[in-house]
Amino acid sequence: MTAYLLRRIATSFIVVIGISIFIFLLLHAIFPTPARVVLGLRASSAAVAAWNKDNGFDRPWFVQYLSYVNGLIHGNLGYSWADNQSVLSLFQERVARSAYLSGMALLLAVLIAVPLGIFQSVRRNSLGDNVLTSLAFILYSMPVFLLGLIFIQVFALSFPLLSFEASQSTSLLTVALDWRAMLLPILTLTLISVAAFSRYMRSSSIDVLAQDYIKVARAKGLPERLVLTRHMVRNASLPMVTLIGLSLPNLLAGNLVTEYLFNYQGLGLLFFNSLGKEDYPTLLAYTLIGAVFVVLGNLIADIALTIADPRIRLA
Amino acid sequence: MTRFGKKHIGVLALAVASVTALGACSSSSSHTTTPTTTTPGAVTQPGSVGQIPAAGTPSGTASSFTYALPPGAVPNWILPMPTAAFNSVFNVYNFEWQMWPPMYYAPDGSVPTVDASLSPANEPTWSNNDTTMTITVKPWKWSNGQTLTSKDVLFTIDEIKAALKQSPANWAPYVPGYFPDTISSMSTPNASTIVINMTKPVNPTWMVEDILGSVPILPSAVWAKASANGPILDFTNPANAAKIYTYLSDQAKAVDTYASNPLWQTVDGPYKLTAFNDTTGAFTMVPNATYSGPHATPESDYVGVPFTSNDAEWNAVKSGSVDFGYVPEEDVPQIPTLKSLGYNYYGLPDFGNYFVDYNFKDTSGDFNNVVNQLYFRQAMQHLEDQAGQIKAYFGGDGDPAYGPIPAYPQSPFLPSNAATNPYPFSVSAAISLLKANGWTVTPNGTDTCTSAGTGSGQCGAGIPAGTKLAFNLIYNTTPPIPQQVEDLASDAKQAGIELSLSGSNFNYMIQNYNDAASPANESKWAMEDFGGETDSTYPTQFGFLNTGGSGQIGDYSNPTADSLINDSISSSNPAAVTNEASFFTTQDPVLWQPVLDYVWAWKSNISATTPTAIENLTQYDDTPQFWYANK
Repeated sequence: MTAYLLRRIATSFIVVIGISIFIFLLLHAIFPTPARVVLGLRASSAAVAAWNKDNGFDRPWFVQYLSYVNGLIHGNLGYSWADNQSVLSLFQERVARSAYLSGMALLLAVLIAVPLGIFQSVRRNSLGDNVLTSLAFILYSMPVFLLGLIFIQVFALSFPLLSFEASQSTSLLTVALDWRAMLLPILTLTLISVAAFSRYMRSSSIDVLAQDYIKVARAKGLPERLVLTRHMVRNASLPMVTLIGLSLPNLLAGNLVTEYLFNYQGLGLLFFNSLGKEDYPTLLAYTLIGAVFVVLGNLIADIALTIADPRIRLA
Repeated sequence: MTRFGKKHIGVLALAVASVTALGACSSSSSHTTTPTTTTPGAVTQPGSVGQIPAAGTPSGTASSFTYALPPGAVPNWILPMPTAAFNSVFNVYNFEWQMWPPMYYAPDGSVPTVDASLSPANEPTWSNNDTTMTITVKPWKWSNGQTLTSKDVLFTIDEIKAALKQSPANWAPYVPGYFPDTISSMSTPNASTIVINMTKPVNPTWMVEDILGSVPILPSAVWAKASANGPILDFTNPANAAKIYTYLSDQAKAVDTYASNPLWQTVDGPYKLTAFNDTTGAFTMVPNATYSGPHATPESDYVGVPFTSNDAEWNAVKSGSVDFGYVPEEDVPQIPTLKSLGYNYYGLPDFGNYFVDYNFKDTSGDFNNVVNQLYFRQAMQHLEDQAGQIKAYFGGDGDPAYGPIPAYPQSPFLPSNAATNPYPFSVSAAISLLKANGWTVTPNGTDTCTSAGTGSGQCGAGIPAGTKLAFNLIYNTTPPIPQQVEDLASDAKQAGIELSLSGSNFNYMIQNYNDAASPANESKWAMEDFGGETDSTYPTQFGFLNTGGSGQIGDYSNPTADSLINDSISSSNPAAVTNEASFFTTQDPVLWQPVLDYVWAWKSNISATTPTAIENLTQYDDTPQFWYANK
């Protein structure tokens, strides 16, 4: 296990470095310098040259890359000329907000989807299963944007029960307690995830229910409740572990569309806006941290699988 | 100030322009236009959407007014000496100028001219063949009780010079070789007067509106220091001026301290900053009790509310959560519902123009030689169906435009030939022009030059026989540009001009389809539509259409144009910029396009002491000191 972990961490390190070089090269191939975008079309060539010098864009790309890595090693993610703040402070201001939104949605989605999937598998092809399947398909095929708009129209505008926008507070506690503002964005994300998760859970549970050990358990006269809780749930949940692991990067990424729609300053929106402004330092930092989270998410999912299913051995 | 991208920039070409302030309305400052009325007491004008109702009876109590900041428009620079990187209308108009108004404030409502009442300096007097400018500042008060002085102006200019010495990108309006490079000496003969001598004459209006109109006065007695607790320095010493600039710009980089840094509390504008959220960009300002300019009484707080998307902003309007909100372009069809939601609305084009740029260096298919021919550019302008595009793609909420100075909002510099379309939409007129100049026209095919040469009735210099009228047009995919260029291509096809359309994005275009910035791509694009440009109140095209101008995209070059532009910025001729605009209206150095209105909604229980304080919303400007709550 330890050897496996070390090997995975080393591999992950190489992957992250590879990604950083790739993204750095890609950005510089498309836009050798964002000076014109930053300074405006009427900036004089002298102003453009001075800006490039001040921000290091007059150096070869690999020198710029090494300089960037040197900054990273010293905890400096760079300075956003578009937002006039350090990238680190931009992240610090938003990471908890995004993590809360995505985390709550993920948690609720799992809590709802797992029992829902089990119910559907046990009562498969029943009226309840068909209704829930139809609902899941509707939600699954519905863009987040549309669902959010419908919620806003119904619950904030037609019947003003909830706020049309998420909490604008910078205090996470205030955000968390402001259920009237946060319910709709969380619900929007949750329902979309529930639709996907419940389908996975249903499918996985049906597979497990057809296994011989379930038949044996029933033949032994074990009560159905124990058959389900002791023998089915744990095995059927294995795909969910992978799914949840792969969802971890969303905690960083936030959920761009939801943040956009509900006026919520999170990391997803920061990335989107940085793209439009060619804010290299923010884009690079975001991509790198995103890569770290993806690698970590996979690693955590693998480890969680071995815990959930002792038959799986990490070699 | 110049703004790029697809914005609500517009023109209305009607023979008679009017802005009205009637009946119960407080008079706006200095309009010289013919009134047009709808409802008695209301303000409207041709080409506008909605109206500004008669002002209501003040409730007499102070309020707090929320103002919607569009996505990406949150303030992020507070030092009222904007660098090129932070020179957005949202930093300058909606934020900095609330605390430090420029020496000469413009616009005046929706009229692109100086509003003297909001300007802390009197109009300068000129002498020595327009090389000496004498400015007197008004006895306005700083918020610390001190009086504005000529020394403050001197300090401001010295700091601009210090900033530019560090980097030419440190002051947005800077053009090498012009202000402040041309200053030979400055003196302050008394506390209210500053005399500035220059090495060469300048056009007084250009200097006042386009240069000094971007210069707020800085408080020398408080800001001339190099550290928070350091002594006040002699800023006339360049070394000290440099230290001071470094200190001030460093403070401006500390976004999280904007509301708490005592430096930013010394203001001469109508407001003081009390809260600033560096994550969202939301801010709150309270009235500056010592403000010396005009304002409502009592004055209300001013709250900037940021939005992450147009949808979020529009939802805020629909839910009544914001007092002043803009109408996103995609929601224009919903304007009629605003009344029932408790809002008034009013829209006008922003002062500027939209255009398709030509590349005068593109040698592929001899486009450079083709586009050099005035008849070709005239034919293209005949193929631009402005009225059709407004109806089909703007929902009727826009106006045609025929040159660099729009007819609306009304500019005192509008040339007479830009009031009506000199090249009205007509495929047959375009075909006639081409046929008359040596082209064999094949409607829905591709025209061919069959009479090469430079004589009358021939294609023109550098265009060999057999040349085809088939070119590419790269466009910004932000609506409604795609629809507009598709319409143009469709109409051009009827005249046998084949335009190959290719979508791109604004940032990529201005870097890669830009002859000066990307010479390697000179022959990769013939035409491009990235959006438009907002004119300065003195609307010279200096920098944009003069040979080698820093804002040149397609290297248009014409000696007459250069001479006219030079007149606009350096002669004392008051008609110079009108002459320049007249020339460009006839010459079509770009293909002029119609423009959209910028529509604002405000709660119907809010009025302003002057209708200009509502009109100016359409120009990205806001003057909340005039807003008040009705009974």
